[in-house]
Amino acid sequence: MSTPTPTPTTDYLLLFRGTNWDKHLSPEQLQKLVTDWYTWFERLKQEGKCAGGHPLQAEGKIVSGKKGRTIADGPFVESKEAIGGYFYLQVASESEAVAIAQQCPGLEHGCVVEVRPVADMCSARARAIEMASRTGELTGVPA
Amino acid sequence: MNTSQEIDSTPPAVEISRLADHLFRHEAGKLVSILTGIFGTSRLQLAEDVVQEALVRALQTWPYYGIPKNPAAWLTQTAKNLALDLIRREKLFQDKEPEIITFVEQWSAEPRPDDAVSFDTEIEDDRLRLMFACCHPLIPQESQTALALKTLCGFSPAEIAKAFLTTEAAIAKRLTRARQRIRELRVPFAVPAGEELAGRLDAVLQTLYLLFNEGYKASSGEQLVRAELCHEAIRLVTLLARHAVGNRPSIHALAALMFLNTARLPARTDPDGNILRLNEQDRSSWDTSMIARGLYHLSQSAAGEELTAYHLQAGIAACHCTAVDFASTDWPRILSLYDRLVELDDSPVIALNRAVALAHVQGPEAGVEAVAGIRDQQLLDSYYLLHAVLAQFEAQLNHFQRAAEHLRKAIQLTELKSEQLLLSNRLHDCERRAREAAALQI
Repeated sequence: MSTPTPTPTTDYLLLFRGTNWDKHLSPEQLQKLVTDWYTWFERLKQEGKCAGGHPLQAEGKIVSGKKGRTIADGPFVESKEAIGGYFYLQVASESEAVAIAQQCPGLEHGCVVEVRPVADMCSARARAIEMASRTGELTGVPA
Repeated sequence: MNTSQEIDSTPPAVEISRLADHLFRHEAGKLVSILTGIFGTSRLQLAEDVVQEALVRALQTWPYYGIPKNPAAWLTQTAKNLALDLIRREKLFQDKEPEIITFVEQWSAEPRPDDAVSFDTEIEDDRLRLMFACCHPLIPQESQTALALKTLCGFSPAEIAKAFLTTEAAIAKRLTRARQRIRELRVPFAVPAGEELAGRLDAVLQTLYLLFNEGYKASSGEQLVRAELCHEAIRLVTLLARHAVGNRPSIHALAALMFLNTARLPARTDPDGNILRLNEQDRSSWDTSMIARGLYHLSQSAAGEELTAYHLQAGIAACHCTAVDFASTDWPRILSLYDRLVELDDSPVIALNRAVALAHVQGPEAGVEAVAGIRDQQLLDSYYLLHAVLAQFEAQLNHFQRAAEHLRKAIQLTELKSEQLLLSNRLHDCERRAREAAALQI
């Protein structure tokens, strides 16, 4: 085989987007969400479908520019794009990952869940390897 | 690579959440009280915001790391940290800042066992102070109840709107106005003492009574939210009654009336949500522990000379609660309590209730006469229960045509589906019996 075929990935990240959707919920709704979310996460872990997850702090830094010269506060706390937390899923297919995302108890309150496959390797490196395998310039790569 | 698993496989048993019912709501009320004590009543909104943020933090971390052993202490500690951050960062309190910071730092989330009792008393004192601030007589009544629900009971504006059948925006406006009024009047964060106490206490009791009634009368609105209003009113009145300031006959009487009426709430509807009349209710589903607590407060209320409308209403509720069945209801005693209640309060609604008691003692004719004799009876004309009661009397007198007319009017006047159904059933019954009576005369 001259071209390595990418193996179908079984790892997915669920990214919970939006850092502001939970601010106006009532104490009762917040309590229900805590228990629903906790139960959901525990169940996925017990079923072996979720390898872990963490909430993310709202505050952080954004590094950009050449050599990381620009350091700004971010993501913005009010942002709809900002990520509030993630689950690391290990499932059979994308449709299963999507089905799990659809169970997120925050959805009805405006939380947005993004499902992203975890690539086997960085796509830039994968392209480099593919090119190298064709030209044979790179050593140590199975051709 | 994972072996594929079926999505709909039965989830393994997970640990059931340790969170008690309404934990967040009740902790919110407690924390807002403590923070208002620290920030001052003029910054009530700030206290509410800090507490909301603490609850949101719980949502953002507990699902991932598990629910802490002592969730209430976690919330307290988080609220305390947020308050300290805010005071330091925003420099809101200028000259008072060091003082406030010391105070917050001393405020312990997990008190040592030996001062746990005094700490609890301190929190209860704070809640009472906030209760007196919310129920200040110069704040409009409707705003008082809304503010008490928001700050002391941890209800959201949306929930309050559902309970009072209005919009969330209207409730938000009421709340803003109330907070503004507290600032303008510089309402102190204190339980009034001396002569001022009696007057202010009446206002507090009146607000709690309204809160309770709003939940109990069930004229419309969401059943569930309304039952919770009753339970919140009970929570606040027992808080008051437990306190040294609250050990007064009128407070015990109000507590008794709330317990004795709420005890019967679960029996008021059948499984389909249809309203059941007193003689149709399953008395075994009345809450006996609530009845016991109600009777306790009723006995406490007998101390001293004071006799309030709350005493009499509690007495009437006690007569119903202690009757083994409908037939053994002590109507003469209920009637005598209504006679005295009418002297204290000449509301036509009370007079109508008295007429029902009178009819049980002296017969339906006396009832009809009593209704006709109600002062300001025209005020009741749009009140569906007036027509329902008259229909009952007329039916007992075998005047089925007249009873049917009253029922038709009552059906028009109520918006509650379950009431309409109950009345329609009675109407069909009356119409049938009117036809039978007519057939017999031919």
